Amino acid sequence: MNATVKLFWILAGFCAVATAGYIVWGLADKEFGGHIEPVGTVALALVTILSVLIAFYIGRVYKAQGGELPEDRLDANIDDGEAEQGFFSPWSWWPIMLGASAALMFTGLAVGSWICFIAVALAAVSIVGLIFEYQRGYFAH
Amino acid sequence: MGDSAPDIGHNGQVTSTSLSRPAGFTTVNRPSVVAVGTIVWLGSEVMFFAGLFAIYFTLRSTSPELWAAQSAKLTVPFSGVNTCILIASSFSCQFGVFAAERLQPRRTSWKLKDWGMAEWFFVTYVMGALFVIGQIYEYANLVSEHVSLSSDAYGSAFYLTTGFHGLHVTCGLIAFLLVIGRAYSAKNFGHKEATSAIVVSYYWHFVDVVWIGLFSIIYLLK
Repeated sequence: MNATVKLFWILAGFCAVATAGYIVWGLADKEFGGHIEPVGTVALALVTILSVLIAFYIGRVYKAQGGELPEDRLDANIDDGEAEQGFFSPWSWWPIMLGASAALMFTGLAVGSWICFIAVALAAVSIVGLIFEYQRGYFAH
Repeated sequence: MGDSAPDIGHNGQVTSTSLSRPAGFTTVNRPSVVAVGTIVWLGSEVMFFAGLFAIYFTLRSTSPELWAAQSAKLTVPFSGVNTCILIASSFSCQFGVFAAERLQPRRTSWKLKDWGMAEWFFVTYVMGALFVIGQIYEYANLVSEHVSLSSDAYGSAFYLTTGFHGLHVTCGLIAFLLVIGRAYSAKNFGHKEATSAIVVSYYWHFVDVVWIGLFSIIYLLK
């Protein structure tokens, strides 16, 4: 985790320097016209922001977890990492329904927009199904 | 089968790890995969908006006269008020997150400090909806002044950037409705519900920050 944080900070620093270099290069190159080239500048600047966002957040998470994760320790055993990794719904059909309605949506955009209306209806049903799956029925909590 | 036995030597080259638990081993809070995944996805959203900003800047650098003529039609004070509404919604959203972190889905009284997540998110929803209404009103005005998606490069850049942002706000509003729905349907409002509220707030703050960027570039820099 700590290595990940450092890597993203290094990436952020590199991209910040690259952005500055790219701006100076655009201004210095008389053949190009001596102005700031917008596409690359925006892309590099926002990759910097992306790296800062992830580095900052992972850094906060790392501080909050109060120690190294077993996978970051050289002396950890396999079974140290056996605790709950997260919540993954077993048997759920809703993600596949949601994926299918998204696929139908893009088919509609490519083939004929009337299909999109069907896809939106299906997506509405599947997203409600996905979000409220554990709010009703046997597994309600 | 029998002849393979002599090939098996001793395991001298393989080291085995010690099974003794090191002293001072503390329990570690495993980071939430939902929260970290959302931030990584928001990173990809940054790059999506990078493409839109690049379109805007490129078209502006190629036709500055068109930009001067068309951006004069923008009503900055109206849009400024709209921006303030969106920024305020981020604050009420954060109060909703504080309530969700207390695991309090609904209010216990009308006093602000007793409000639950649902009340704060309703306030956020109304402000977000006001922002979208304001955007649509502004679009209608601009179309009446002959700035449309297909009118010229300025129209295309303006509607693509602000339109994709508006779509993100609308998706955020739907997400708020789903999270509010959970506040009412969950028998026990637990960490799973709180996590989805926190994650929606990350998204909302992100969309808010993107708008601040769009507003300063489109309306303030012109």
